[in-house]
Amino acid sequence: MAKQEPALLPLAVAPDGAEAPPPRAVPGGARRGSQPLDALPRPAAPAKSTEEGKPPLLPSRRSSMLSVLNAPFASRRSSLVAVPGGRRPAVGPWMLHSRVSFSGLPLFQPIQEIRYENTYRMQPDEGCKFSACRVRRVLESALAASLGDAAYSAQSGAQLAHSLADLLRSRAKEAVPPRYKLVCHVLLGQRGQQSLLVASRALWDPQSDSFASATFSNASLFAVATVHGLYFE
Amino acid sequence: MDDFQSGEETSFVVDEVSNIIKEAIETAIGGNAYQHSRVNQWTTSVVEQTLSQLTKLGKPFKYIVTCVIMQKNGAGLHTASSCFWDNSSDGNCTVRWENKTMYCIVSAFGLAI
Repeated sequence: MAKQEPALLPLAVAPDGAEAPPPRAVPGGARRGSQPLDALPRPAAPAKSTEEGKPPLLPSRRSSMLSVLNAPFASRRSSLVAVPGGRRPAVGPWMLHSRVSFSGLPLFQPIQEIRYENTYRMQPDEGCKFSACRVRRVLESALAASLGDAAYSAQSGAQLAHSLADLLRSRAKEAVPPRYKLVCHVLLGQRGQQSLLVASRALWDPQSDSFASATFSNASLFAVATVHGLYFE
Repeated sequence: MDDFQSGEETSFVVDEVSNIIKEAIETAIGGNAYQHSRVNQWTTSVVEQTLSQLTKLGKPFKYIVTCVIMQKNGAGLHTASSCFWDNSSDGNCTVRWENKTMYCIVSAFGLAI
């Protein structure tokens, strides 16, 4: 299994390969990028038994492949770790890097490929839905704070609407759980005697998606802000 | 993801959507002058028709359609939007339409599922 996917090998760092039984170590490494770090300090107690049970060929073959992929030092390290005791010697963090300069500083960090697998999440987690009420409060306070008693002017209006849209989106983003796409729409107009009607309709999943809207007006201008949050599966 | 969502069939084509919106506005408002009592009906029908035409495209998108109708009396109006989404697949289209008595601004946003 380990041989078919050489890209996985940098994940299963040598000590792991020497200690843990390969059939378990490989899927674990594929699922989570942090697996090798978790696996490093694992005590050697179960390792001995598995080493006895396994044919000795496999671990050694893996570590030799590692030494092909990594820098020459890696081979020395894996031989260090494969000492019968199986205990990792207490070494500094620089030992984790495959190549080390003479000053002891790492020359480069090995690029660990993180492989993501499906999460099979089709809907927001419990309590992680778009909260229209919360977003509306955020919008209202942001609108009031940024507009205050500003006066409308045709020149700065466009710029103001732009910055308002950016500001409201970033504020809303803080109040919205992850995995939501946001569409923030801002209308900024001069207050005359005119009438204005905003209508909006969406094709979405009513279970997870929602919107929040807030209005603000003072003597010379009005603003209508709408934030739609759409769950991204 | 790019492998699955490239190509005409599954991308947001602005021209196509723009035509849909223009058609919806024309059929809903046409040559009418501003009438306060009918604005509600106009916005509803513009939004409804745009959305139903977008649905008929059969693309894997969630859509948001917003319509604003404002009476013309010299007052200024600005609209801006800002989105947090996947730039490569999602898109939007805004159409401004006006006659002697009113402005109509329709924005459609398509967000890939």
